[in-house]
Amino acid sequence: MALPDLQQNYFQLFKLPEQFALNGADLGERFRQMQSQSHPDRFASKSPHEQRVAVQYSALVNQAYSILRKPLPRALYLLELAGMDKEQVAAQKMDGGFLIEQMDLREKLESIHDLVDPDAFLEHLIIEIAADIKSHEQEFSSAFTDRDLNGAASACVKIQYLEKLLQEAEQIESGLLG
Amino acid sequence: MALLQIAEPGQAAAAPEARRAIGIDLGTTNSLVATLRESKPDVLVDAAGSVSLPSVVNYSSPGRVSVGADALALAVQYPADTLASVKRFMGRGQQDARDEARRSHYILAEGEAGMVEFVTSSGRISPVQASAEILNTLRKRAESVLGGDIDGAVITVPAYFDEAQRQATKDAATLAGLPVLRLLNEPTAAAVAYGLESAQQGMIAVYDLGGGTFDISILRLHRDVFEVRSTGGDTALGGDDFDNVIADWVLGEINCGPLDAGQHRQLQALARAAKETLSEDEVAIIPLDEIADKGAQLTLSRTTFEGLIQPWVKRTLHACRRALRDAELAPGDIDSIVLVGGSTRIPLVRNAVADFFQREPLAGINPDEVVAIGAALQADILVGNRPEGELLLLDVIPLSLGIETMGGLVEKIIQRNTTIPVTRAQQFTTYQDGQTALALHIVQGERELVADSRSLARFELKGIPPMVAGAARILVSFQVDADGLLSVSAHEETTGARSSIVVKPSFGLSDEQISTMLEASFSHAEEDKTARVLAELCVSARALIAGLEIALAADGEELLDSEERAALNEQMERLRAQLSGGEVEPLRAASDELGRASEAFAARRMDKSIRQALAGVSVDDIAQEINK
Repeated sequence: MALPDLQQNYFQLFKLPEQFALNGADLGERFRQMQSQSHPDRFASKSPHEQRVAVQYSALVNQAYSILRKPLPRALYLLELAGMDKEQVAAQKMDGGFLIEQMDLREKLESIHDLVDPDAFLEHLIIEIAADIKSHEQEFSSAFTDRDLNGAASACVKIQYLEKLLQEAEQIESGLLG
Repeated sequence: MALLQIAEPGQAAAAPEARRAIGIDLGTTNSLVATLRESKPDVLVDAAGSVSLPSVVNYSSPGRVSVGADALALAVQYPADTLASVKRFMGRGQQDARDEARRSHYILAEGEAGMVEFVTSSGRISPVQASAEILNTLRKRAESVLGGDIDGAVITVPAYFDEAQRQATKDAATLAGLPVLRLLNEPTAAAVAYGLESAQQGMIAVYDLGGGTFDISILRLHRDVFEVRSTGGDTALGGDDFDNVIADWVLGEINCGPLDAGQHRQLQALARAAKETLSEDEVAIIPLDEIADKGAQLTLSRTTFEGLIQPWVKRTLHACRRALRDAELAPGDIDSIVLVGGSTRIPLVRNAVADFFQREPLAGINPDEVVAIGAALQADILVGNRPEGELLLLDVIPLSLGIETMGGLVEKIIQRNTTIPVTRAQQFTTYQDGQTALALHIVQGERELVADSRSLARFELKGIPPMVAGAARILVSFQVDADGLLSVSAHEETTGARSSIVVKPSFGLSDEQISTMLEASFSHAEEDKTARVLAELCVSARALIAGLEIALAADGEELLDSEERAALNEQMERLRAQLSGGEVEPLRAASDELGRASEAFAARRMDKSIRQALAGVSVDDIAQEINK
């Protein structure tokens, strides 16, 4: 007899179709229903063995939810299921326009300390990056629907670039705030 | 459409009498204990009728510890022996504690595993021991009110507490003889109290500014499920800092020689009184007879005070902004604000929070009591006093967990704000031919360099079969349980030679240390240990058998074949035979065996209940589609 299959397909676990588009409210509802059945708190007065099973199940549901809930992990997971691993995704070539745009954003970020009101500027920049990420998610969605895996992967790499930049911006922000 | 509810048969049988469950708010300045009486939360008072126990412990006379108001009364006379705000030292090494100690007049020493200790007239005292005294006082208070031993306690911690601070809190509870059901994050506890009180739905921001710590948590309450979306804060920012800036301001205004320790304590008390006055009045008079000249005094206006604390308040708002961003929300998305902690009585703080979230905070429950009340509610649920289907808390880890890689860099394994429990595995390999051991260093924090992160544990995986570099496949698994506590195990996969180790982070007390301390202290010293262990084993074995019988009656036919059923029944008989045997080891072995054998059955039942639960969602889903 086996314990929960930790390798099982997250879409199947949530009984959802394997696609990028999903209804966030529905996913959340499924998640809460599954946690209502598996969370260790439901087993707090049960035997340690039942608690152990609960921790494993609950952690699996959390893991699946964390991948499905956010666009980039969900996109990468779909590529993985389609047979494209992380190295293949990372090997995608970026077009020149995107790279120039990246350099431009990065320069803005680096010059931030010279500004009079870096706080407000940073807030702006963060919003701009977030909007860029949204548009590349659209790009992924249509490419993946058309089974253009390379196109979909390249959208993922762009999102990765932008998310890294976003993280740096946030780090600078917390540094500014001291 | 009502969702299918799965009845848990074990629960129905276990409800005849309420078990004694308590919630404890172990605060920096004050601590409280609450329970549920006739389904209503009730904060318990001591013999003198007061609700809050000052979190102060005095060690001035060896062999006699005083706690609370009695200890506080000795603070000026015995500054080094009167430990206040020990929460700020929990799980801290001497390095970390230096800044904290600068203000206080404690004499610090390095204790076990580099943890800080206080040197007092009664010997060296760790923050864990001092906290245990506070918990013990509250335990006794609850026992005398409830009329018997406590079956389970929920103890609250700041959401932003790291691994070491959580472990230290749990150790203190063990030392105080309290069975801990769960460590619960303070803002989550407050949200629970409000959620049950007023059925607030939607997005809730909990702004918790206590004596020594600041937390911000963003939660979503949807039906009976609280989902923490993000959390942030600062474990060294609170009302104490406001006292300190007032004290510094006083020293800047007057000319006086260096203060002695007692005067320092007095100045802190005066500063605190002024701060409290300024929550009501526009000015506060600070009498300085004991510190400067007789009759000397200063007047502090609210405006000046607000100018002094502005930088701290601003820091809390930045943490709010980051927590919102982590939750992918804007300030306007928040439906209700809950204020927790005495420092939220300060008008500047209330106004700043209301401005930031564009909404007036809720104020129905006393901000000093709301955390203890929420903890009591959760304790009541966890101990099994409430029918199933009520209230579920899904909390997160506040800080990322990672591992040291080449060049002193951190590779994050679990990101902050990940919902717990969580397990993550990461593969590592050897980098030298014939390498047979791998050192792992586990760290916590958001920074990229190991040097900037908090070191949690170092351990070495030994017995890797010699191979060429890069051939070994070492799987390191992190598991964070529902208390937010971490365990790490590692094994080498290729050769089938599995060796694994579970580390308890190095800052925690070892089980042995705890039992030594327990014996040396107040509780259970004279009890017969073996008899107690045997009695406990019998109780849990009977519960195991009873639970399994109910499960077998409900799902045995459906989920197990006849062979599997026969095997379980046989093991159950073997355990029954051991129940009357009166020997510890065979009973323990038979219990473990049956427990392990039943895990897969438990897993299949879980599968089934999840399937049924999702079947309910699908119906909802269709309804949603039709409504579009």
